[in-house]
Amino acid sequence: MSADVLALEIEAARARLLVLRMLQAGRSGHVGGALSCIDIVTALYFDILRIDPRSPNDGTRDRFLLSAGHKAMAQYAVLARRGYFPEDLLDTYGGLDSKFAGHPDMHKVSGIEANTGALGHGLAIAAGMALGLRMDGTASRVFTILGDGELPEGSNWEGASIAAHHGLDNLIAVIDVNDLQISGRTTNVMNMEPIADKFEAFGWAVTTIDGNNMSEVTDTLRSAPLIQGRPTAIVARTIKAKGISALEDTAQSHYWKPDAEALLEAHVELTNTLVQKIKARSDELMFTSRGTK
Amino acid sequence: MTSLTEELIDPRKTFGEAVTSFAASDPRVVVLSADSGNSSGFGTFMREYPERYLEFGIQEHGVTGVASGLASTGKIPVFAAIATFVTCRNFEAFRNDIAYMRQNVKIVGRNGGMTYSDLGPTHYSLEDYAIIRMLPGVVVLSPQDPGEIRAASAAMLEHDGPIYMRIGGPLIPNLFPEEPFVIGKGRLIAAGTRATIVSTGPVTAEVMKAVSQLRDDGLDVELIGMPTVEPIDAELILSSAAKTGHVITIEEHYVRGGLSAAVSECISSQGVRHDSIGLPHQHITTGTYSGLLSHYRLDAPALHSRLSELLR
Repeated sequence: MSADVLALEIEAARARLLVLRMLQAGRSGHVGGALSCIDIVTALYFDILRIDPRSPNDGTRDRFLLSAGHKAMAQYAVLARRGYFPEDLLDTYGGLDSKFAGHPDMHKVSGIEANTGALGHGLAIAAGMALGLRMDGTASRVFTILGDGELPEGSNWEGASIAAHHGLDNLIAVIDVNDLQISGRTTNVMNMEPIADKFEAFGWAVTTIDGNNMSEVTDTLRSAPLIQGRPTAIVARTIKAKGISALEDTAQSHYWKPDAEALLEAHVELTNTLVQKIKARSDELMFTSRGTK
Repeated sequence: MTSLTEELIDPRKTFGEAVTSFAASDPRVVVLSADSGNSSGFGTFMREYPERYLEFGIQEHGVTGVASGLASTGKIPVFAAIATFVTCRNFEAFRNDIAYMRQNVKIVGRNGGMTYSDLGPTHYSLEDYAIIRMLPGVVVLSPQDPGEIRAASAAMLEHDGPIYMRIGGPLIPNLFPEEPFVIGKGRLIAAGTRATIVSTGPVTAEVMKAVSQLRDDGLDVELIGMPTVEPIDAELILSSAAKTGHVITIEEHYVRGGLSAAVSECISSQGVRHDSIGLPHQHITTGTYSGLLSHYRLDAPALHSRLSELLR
């Protein structure tokens, strides 16, 4: 495992702790989806996106928007880590008139590109951005994360057809397939499998990865577009609430209202994960430096 | 007080030409089509600016989202199609992706009202003023004649923010000398003291004929044309209502929620009588357009008779 993958895993571990911090402030939130996609969001902001937090509206920046806007805590955490705003602002999460609500507001939070939350909106907005950036002749790319639970919204397939018909290879959609939504298994609630085949049939270049495996995530995102002239769909198989073992892969995690004990338990676990990652990286750096002497 | 000339003009062609002319000097203007561009008057635009003419096929929700994304990159997207499809079909995208995101997008509903008279209620748009004026920050325009369509199109493209504009389909007469369009300003068509009549959209042509007859009858009514439904020109309405004490609104829209409601909200604390003329709250029947105007008592003879009754 290369050092930069471990560094990204450390960032993801820190971001997971910030999600808990927001949960402590707001008492409840969409934790499951935030933690299933947070490795991907971390990889995007720390490895993939051509952005400058000091110049968040630069016209040539890459764009990222969450179609699954309820996973906003993941984006807030990573934006804070990336330097868009101080981490302690996240302690206002969920409060009256806070910049940080359950769904993102581009007019309140630096780095947010779209006011998502109603499902099935992000892909068409992202396609419009990709189209506009291509018309301008920029090399900017647009990334979006959809949830598997939002795929039954027909507007996704309007967006999918637009992106393919217009050959938007500067558009990369990651579908966070954690196979859970409020009512249970997504495949039981409304089975949209085979997801990869559906996007492929619409004319997209498609690949499937483990969305909680940082190495796979970064390798795949770096290789986009997978095929010139086609939008890229990355079907990311993930675990809902990844990182909090008591909560992982449960529908209950979709919108979690932890008591103090459960929150503390999660905090201990995520802190331990962070410490282990830091230790692993430190060992690796030591080993690497010894090896190079 | 009737039309300036006998000539009848195509509102869609007028609108398309106005946008095309504006786009010649502003490369940010892009036209979005949901299989609707050519019939929205963009034939010339398609030929002159093919790189700025974007076709998406029949899907209004998706196109509204795309318009939002394009606006994020600095474009001025103009999305025109049948009025009900760009207000009802895509309403949540209009609400979230355009209004809530405060995007500089222009959505134009053509064949508004019941102008698609032979096609029936699926193709009518009689609630568009009502639902779109509920979206904070969205301007709602309803120009009354070709000159206003041209001027309103330019004002719409100059305005930085989301706009919905309704135009019709059937040919319409020139009513006014053309002048620059000011969003939010009404037009005093005839000054009077007996009552204030407020009208919007192309039905104003019928209202003007009716008012002309009323004045011949000796009824000195004031007529205000209101090509901006939101934000409504409260100042003009309030000053006129204070003078006449009686306001009558006329629109090709359900009497609920549209111009009537906007005017009512404006004068409700003034102790002024308000009567509303528009479409009844039911599924409207089909026929020829002139037949429907007559059936629902919105043509000049019926308006003359209704207004005479209200002013008795």
